[in-house]
Amino acid sequence: MKKHVALGVSSLAALALMATGCAGSSSSSTSTEAAADTASASAPASAAPECAGTIAVMAPLTGGAASIGQEQLNFAKLAVDDFNMANGSMYKIFESDTQLDAGQASTQATAIASDNTIIGVVGPAGSQEVSAVGPTFKDAGIGYVSASATNPDLTNGSNPGFFRVVPTDAVQGPTDADYIATTMGAKNVVVIEEKTDYGKGIAMSVSDALTAAGVKVTSIPVAESKKSYDDVIAKVADDTDVVFVTFQVAAKSQQVAQGLVKAGKKAVVFGSDGSFSADFKTPGAYVSAFAPDINGIPAAATVAKAFTDKYGKFGTFGPPVYVATQAVMQAAQRACTTAGASADRAGVLKELPNTNIAGSILGGDIKFDAKGDVDGAKFYIFKIDDAGTAVTVQ
Amino acid sequence: MSEQDQAGRGIGTDEWVAQHEDRVGAPQTGMARVAQQWTRLPGLVRWGIPLVIFLSVPFIGSSDYILRIGINLGLFVLLALGLNLVVGYSGLLDLGFVAFYGFGAYAYAMLSSEQFGVHLNSIVALLLVIGTTASFGFILGLPSRRLTGDYLAIATLFFGQMFAVFVVSSDEFQFPGMSDPVDLTGGANGITQVDQISVFGFTFETNLSYYLLLVVLVVFFTVATKRIHFSRHGLAWRSLGEDTVAAQHMTIPTVRLKLLAFTIGAGVAGLAGAIFASVQQGVYPSEFMLPLLITIYAALILGGLGSIPGILLGAFIMVVLPEVLRFPDYSNGIFLAVLIIAVIATVKSWKVLLWAFGGMIVIGFLVNGILLALQVPYLAAKEWITGPLAPVLGSWVFMPENRVLYGNIAFVALVGLAAWMSIMRRRTRIIVLPLALWLAIWTWEVRLLLEPSVTRQLLIGALLIVLMASRPQGLLGKPRVEVL
Amino acid sequence: MQYFLTQLVNGVIFGGVYALIALGYTLIYGVLQFLNLAHGEVYMMGAFFGFFTMTTLGGPSMSVLPVPLMILLMFVVAMGGSALLGIGIERFAYRPLRRSSRLAPLISALGVSLFLQSAALLLFSSRVRLYDSNLFLSVKSGITVFGVHIDTAEIMVVVGAVLLMVILWFLVNRTNLGRAMRAVAVDQDAAVMNGIDVDRTVVWTFGIASALAGAAGVMSGLLMYPVDQYIGVFAGLKGFTAAVLGGIGSIPGAMLGGFLLGITEAMVTAYLNPTYSDFLAFFILVIVLLVRPRGLLGRPALVKV
Repeated sequence: MKKHVALGVSSLAALALMATGCAGSSSSSTSTEAAADTASASAPASAAPECAGTIAVMAPLTGGAASIGQEQLNFAKLAVDDFNMANGSMYKIFESDTQLDAGQASTQATAIASDNTIIGVVGPAGSQEVSAVGPTFKDAGIGYVSASATNPDLTNGSNPGFFRVVPTDAVQGPTDADYIATTMGAKNVVVIEEKTDYGKGIAMSVSDALTAAGVKVTSIPVAESKKSYDDVIAKVADDTDVVFVTFQVAAKSQQVAQGLVKAGKKAVVFGSDGSFSADFKTPGAYVSAFAPDINGIPAAATVAKAFTDKYGKFGTFGPPVYVATQAVMQAAQRACTTAGASADRAGVLKELPNTNIAGSILGGDIKFDAKGDVDGAKFYIFKIDDAGTAVTVQ
Repeated sequence: MSEQDQAGRGIGTDEWVAQHEDRVGAPQTGMARVAQQWTRLPGLVRWGIPLVIFLSVPFIGSSDYILRIGINLGLFVLLALGLNLVVGYSGLLDLGFVAFYGFGAYAYAMLSSEQFGVHLNSIVALLLVIGTTASFGFILGLPSRRLTGDYLAIATLFFGQMFAVFVVSSDEFQFPGMSDPVDLTGGANGITQVDQISVFGFTFETNLSYYLLLVVLVVFFTVATKRIHFSRHGLAWRSLGEDTVAAQHMTIPTVRLKLLAFTIGAGVAGLAGAIFASVQQGVYPSEFMLPLLITIYAALILGGLGSIPGILLGAFIMVVLPEVLRFPDYSNGIFLAVLIIAVIATVKSWKVLLWAFGGMIVIGFLVNGILLALQVPYLAAKEWITGPLAPVLGSWVFMPENRVLYGNIAFVALVGLAAWMSIMRRRTRIIVLPLALWLAIWTWEVRLLLEPSVTRQLLIGALLIVLMASRPQGLLGKPRVEVL
Repeated sequence: MQYFLTQLVNGVIFGGVYALIALGYTLIYGVLQFLNLAHGEVYMMGAFFGFFTMTTLGGPSMSVLPVPLMILLMFVVAMGGSALLGIGIERFAYRPLRRSSRLAPLISALGVSLFLQSAALLLFSSRVRLYDSNLFLSVKSGITVFGVHIDTAEIMVVVGAVLLMVILWFLVNRTNLGRAMRAVAVDQDAAVMNGIDVDRTVVWTFGIASALAGAAGVMSGLLMYPVDQYIGVFAGLKGFTAAVLGGIGSIPGAMLGGFLLGITEAMVTAYLNPTYSDFLAFFILVIVLLVRPRGLLGRPALVKV
């Protein structure tokens, strides 16, 4: 008898706890750890409707690429916090972990498509994943803005609703190749092609451009799982001028650069934008990026400091997510203000092509062209000085 | 966590004798009573009820997402049934199984997309895919003649790895004698825009159509597996799995059976792969690697090897649970519910229950008070929780401003405490229980909810460890008894 | 010729790390016939422990201790921490399963893997860490052998690996603990009947194996391999491959397998397409197994009827 009473009471307690759990879930979305009290007091006085909506962030939050995905998620969170504080809106984030796996991305796409509170998507991070989610998002009529999917084919019309805030490999390749061939005067270049979505694209683009400029290109393909590059470095001929690396993880570029120093080779390392990070710090090396030095842009410096204070150092894949999230929120805000009520995904999709983020943290205004690519895309070249910092050279 | 070995049942007993009490004895707990009534229902009803449930899913929730999970589940069950034939019955540890799945998917993609400009009729393509995958399975089975046990496992593991590496690297495959390299598999980009399966004029386009197709296939293969179970071949396979040497002495053609198991298992996986390629309208190398293999094995062993309802249950847990855990609201509810139910289920006396929950509540307020007095910076309730009970919960859970730091410390403490509790004596365990409960909920709210994607993986890992430790034979498997 | 030698040396250095991981696998398998699939994760944690020791001591650039002492401390903390971790894993995840089927502990090991990766992600944040050992172990230092330059870190790795193997060999073949391990490996129940404390022996086995993995973690950090939460997956796979190649259960075999695997990888990169280096390494392994199912130095497995 006593046992049944106890069971009954405990079950009720369990249900009650569950109910509170479901109702009052601690935020996985924006975590307003900064003193939000003052912020809410100083909300804009305009009678704008309180715009809200959920934005899904598709990124590799766990799995081998977690370092990239977590950075992207944190920048997205920062963007939402900043935007909400400035506009009195209430946008939230829905985390969608894809582990950079197209299959998971495809399933998550259906989850996102089925949830009508999600009005826009930031991501997916990989070009493979964009292809995988394309059909689902097309049917759902939802807009998705990626910060790191750089395969040029993605904007050839098969993925309506897809936008990206970073230039494609088709821009980076020729820019880098031109600098290597002309300014650096290289005659022999080795391209280390990492067999990933990202690496394959940029390697091909750079190789083609270099060959067209009359430079001798040797390609060394490596698997993503490779841990040590001393054997690859030994393959680099002594008369090589430049070693172009296509890693997503800047630490690997650093490894290669140090390995070249160790082997006493004269070749200089040139990293694609994946290597643009504090981890890649060998003096004399070059790296390209789609944004000028973030510390030189006042708006960017504030954001950079806010991020570093809270989460630590960041690389190249995070800041564009900030801009991508801004794009989605601004589109939603515009739709909301026009309609007088929170935007739905159709509204966001309609407004996304009109995006104009003036003075973005990537330097310059962010606008989309008719295909969904970012307008006026440009790559900047940096050289790493003796202190390990990247200094703009072009 | 219990540490009794199964061998404690006594020297000289065998499985039949050891299971005597389970067969004859009256069920003790409510759960066992329900289980007994369930087994008394006629077979058709027992299988019919889940079937009806699955068939009605599309009509209850019209969400595409649920259908897609259902499709994933269906594919997974097909894979599990195929692997069951190889591992569960024949005892051959095949760690390269996922390669057949990938092979089937890629083969279908190559025959039905722009990769080579070939768009075969679906039925022809499917037959070709199943045929080639089965042959591939046959080839992989050949080493099983010389290799046994762990060595076969290792050889198959590496075939699986070879497939994964091959597929990623073969966007520039140099055929000897040809001048240019050929893009075989699309490399890291995979193959996109794969045709969808179209049979007799009907094209499978919607998730609903695939879902129903998979329900049919799952039913078919489940029935087939059941029939195999008691057939001549099934008995031969099972004896092969139990003891290969003894089976050989019984004149069972072990080599032929092993090869047959590999072939059929591969064929089923190939079919599943082709359907997967069609659902996703593309194939990508990252999908056919170790993590998927691990999940299939986990499902099989979790459910109980060789037990068909076990396989279905295990598949359900490994596919549906991770999806549900993605949503913080659900994972919150599940975590709290599981915690409370686990305590209620394992604690016998109501006095202890009172001590556990009452103590937990007291500790919460106590800690809150202490930390407030120590002037540790914290967040007010309204900043991290909403809902009617917010004020109460806000004062029960102390939310420090630096959630990450305190949360990490609490997490490490929790893991240590949980581990220690598993080896404590019952008395000490009861004394520490309220502290453990409070710490668990506190860590959850303060730290784990901050990163739901990471927590999800954490929970799945913990689940596997705990389930295996408490029920090594799987949820619906039969306990193994050591015959001395 | 020079090129060949350079690549050979590279291979040997890769092999040092693989060999250490393989030693751990082989030790646990030899004693318990159990493949500890979470071993790679212990390696990963060891690498992190070493990293945090280094940063706590002010490294890599401003160490409060002399460099050799700092490195020693890194090894001690990493090996100790990994040993404790390994012992804990055995105690709570594997011991309840000792008498059950052979597949159940594998799933538990996978659960442990997943748990460790996620816990590390939670506790250490997802940033990739680099030891930056070039700042305190100059790449220009070291010796030159046959025209091939080997720097200090690399010497440390190879010498350390061989030294640890020798110590392990002595432990297993010349001490009482070793004798107990060998007894448990042959027949657990008979060992109990001979008065051997099986539990204690297993604890020591796991402790030593995990310490070796931790050492491997620090070594790979010193070689400037990037450190993140998922390095254990492939390292574990490679170490496992090496152990099997050499004959699982055999200590010299693990060593041999490790070095062979490293050399194969370097040679494939040197003369063929580097992306196929893993592929070919696996392929060779399978061929070896088909010809010699017990591995290169393994003993024939007797199946009791």
